[in-house]
Amino acid sequence: MQFQRQTLSNGLVLIGEVNPGAKSAAIGFFVRAGARDETSQINGVSHFLEHMLFKGTERLSSLEVNEAFDSRGAQFNAFTSEEQTVFHAAVLPEYLIDITELWAELMRPALRDEDFNIEKDVIKEEIAMCQDTPASDLMDRCRSLHFGEHPCGHSVLGTIETIDALTARQMREYFSNRYAPNNMVVACTGSFDWDQLAATLEVTCGRWPAQAVGRPLTDFPGTKQKARADKANLKREHICLIHTGVSAQDPRRFAAAMLSLIVGNDYGSRFYWDLIDKALAEEASMQFGPMDGTGMFYNYFCCSTDNADRVMDIVNGIFRDLADHGVTDEELAKAKNKVLSALVIKNEVPMGRLLDLGFHWMYLGEYRSIEQDVESVKAVTVDQVNSLIRQIDLNSYTQYTLGPAATA
Amino acid sequence: MEQRIDKHVLANGMVLLGEPMAGVQSVAFDIMLSAGAAWMPPGACGVANVISDWIFRGAGPRDNRALGDALDGLGLHRSSSVGSSHLYIGAALESSNLAQALGLYSDIILNPQLSDEQFEPARQLVIEELCGLEDEPRHKVMLELRKRFYPDPLGRSTAGELADLQALTVARTRELAKSHLDVSQAIFSVAGKYDFDAVCRQIEGVFGPQQGEPLNALDVGSRGPRYTHIPHEGAQVHIGLMTPTARFIDKDYYDARAAVSVLSGGMSSRLFTEVREKRGLCYAIGAKYHSFKQAAGISCYAGTTPDKAQETLDVILGEFHRLAEGISEQEMERAKVGLKSALIMQSESSSSRVDSIGSDYYMLGRVRTLDEIKENIEARTVDSVLGFLRSNPFRDFTVVTIGPREVRLD
Repeated sequence: MQFQRQTLSNGLVLIGEVNPGAKSAAIGFFVRAGARDETSQINGVSHFLEHMLFKGTERLSSLEVNEAFDSRGAQFNAFTSEEQTVFHAAVLPEYLIDITELWAELMRPALRDEDFNIEKDVIKEEIAMCQDTPASDLMDRCRSLHFGEHPCGHSVLGTIETIDALTARQMREYFSNRYAPNNMVVACTGSFDWDQLAATLEVTCGRWPAQAVGRPLTDFPGTKQKARADKANLKREHICLIHTGVSAQDPRRFAAAMLSLIVGNDYGSRFYWDLIDKALAEEASMQFGPMDGTGMFYNYFCCSTDNADRVMDIVNGIFRDLADHGVTDEELAKAKNKVLSALVIKNEVPMGRLLDLGFHWMYLGEYRSIEQDVESVKAVTVDQVNSLIRQIDLNSYTQYTLGPAATA
Repeated sequence: MEQRIDKHVLANGMVLLGEPMAGVQSVAFDIMLSAGAAWMPPGACGVANVISDWIFRGAGPRDNRALGDALDGLGLHRSSSVGSSHLYIGAALESSNLAQALGLYSDIILNPQLSDEQFEPARQLVIEELCGLEDEPRHKVMLELRKRFYPDPLGRSTAGELADLQALTVARTRELAKSHLDVSQAIFSVAGKYDFDAVCRQIEGVFGPQQGEPLNALDVGSRGPRYTHIPHEGAQVHIGLMTPTARFIDKDYYDARAAVSVLSGGMSSRLFTEVREKRGLCYAIGAKYHSFKQAAGISCYAGTTPDKAQETLDVILGEFHRLAEGISEQEMERAKVGLKSALIMQSESSSSRVDSIGSDYYMLGRVRTLDEIKENIEARTVDSVLGFLRSNPFRDFTVVTIGPREVRLD
């Protein structure tokens, strides 16, 4: 695979990893805009804006946009997180340039009032859907509790109130600042012609004006507060714990990824053997969440109300044991095998590689080949993981629980 | 497209299939056993789930912990699931570890320890997962839908039933495991980077001597009630509906697939456009084709706030019925391009290919090449799809809703 890059005069970065043997290509427009960049008054605007981009431009109606994607067989979508909005498509190579031109055109949307008003209803349905998905609802609440006043605690979807109050004018102002070319990266993987792609992007995006846009980056270890809410329709206990983490730029991030697998992977982890294998909980996981300038580990458990106290005792016991004795050589070796296996499987398809390519540039400003990531994973030592455990203080965390109301 | 399908049939009837993929370093494999929910006796709904967990709790010379450590040591990604017709036991991993993985999986299937002390946690875990579904209305509604749409035992829940799970005994479960893990009827598939001769030698060596008998055909009963509402004080009404259609093995199969693609293939499809884009009624809306050998259906899910539930259902049913009135050439072209693109992109994934070749062989007794599928898609026309729809109008819908409010069916 061959890496290519070019930066346009307006600051837009183009990166590509060409794999001539692939059967498809994947393209992504990465925008440094997410919930953390919003004020509380316009909370939800980044995600709403992501929806609005599909509603078209001066030239194209929303139906015409959808038809343009579908007539080329593109598998396309977008997502918004606390800090990124990513628009992506996987497509057969012969349609890549068409789809690139389409995305580039959509990046300058019309943001029509009538589309804005209908789409408000769709966003509110999405908020309702999240409320009926306890794991998602819980994650939002726990993140907000963990980060407190820090903007990484903002909810991505916003609330019914902030979405209702949002105006098209506020969205247009937010858009013109954050969707600046110097705040974006376009990435492409798979089978494609780099020269043709770069020339297309130069023509379609080269005249966008750069803006002064930034993002304050303060690290924050978390409030470590505890909270609980009862919900009448729940039958199970849903528990989220968030630990201090390390950032996406931190050299300790590989050790952090290994730690999360050792503690909370689907199989063979501490949580698996002590909770799932014993049928005390049907879900018990830990994930590492690296972010821009900060980070976290988040843990999720789902169990019966009767087992909740016992589950937490066991979890606290696992954290104490790790803090006192660290991880074993064998645990680390198995975690490495899982990551290396996952990399090989993910990289079967260009779409699997696209997000890594784009995020490496967004967070690190550099290209990292698959081989480099493999070497970094292999180089993690037990000492590094144990040192990280001490630094983040596993025994201390923010906790939010959702469950049924206690019976008398 | 150049494509090779490897095939070898053992003397006892077990079928081995393979599809080599250039340029990947990974391999995926899957063993399909006739131990799905539909094959278990009545009154034991969920026993297949218990068995699929229990066999991993010690096999051959390794106890629960040693077996788990051995599997983890290979870094493999497990994928086991219980379907209606089959129990699927498989994994994806780096290709250099395939022989060792197959060795462990042979033990799991042929020599599971099925110890008394591991039965209770295996059974309890299935019960915990079943109880967890109460808080997942979106997932639950589609399971409840299938239970009522497909006749028993095809529609039997693949998550189990609480009373049946609680009534299971160690002895009965062990007996069912031994009788149903019959490899002589199994289909083994592998895709990615592998040496087929080496795989065949290894599998034949272990599975070859196993004898078994073909199963009798399933005794299929009648469908469940037309509309069921399950009260749930959540934020949305979750709607599931399903209607009968051409089966995978029928001549109209590709016309049915094209019709579903026009209805719900992409964001310019009928359902997405009418329900979400124009009316803002839902965030999540979509229809899918599904088929067993004996029966098939088109299912649809929509989640919507209670005030909009009736209108959402009415618009969805309206779109199903309106389809036979006419389809434009552009819609047909988009449907075909979507299906062909999805086919090619799926063929890049070793896990997807393993699923497809196993499923093809079970349904048809052979594996379709990608060229064959592509030609069949290309042969669809507006006339062929409309002809199919007019001879097979959508009717006899089964509907399930979960939420704070019911709907009316006319």
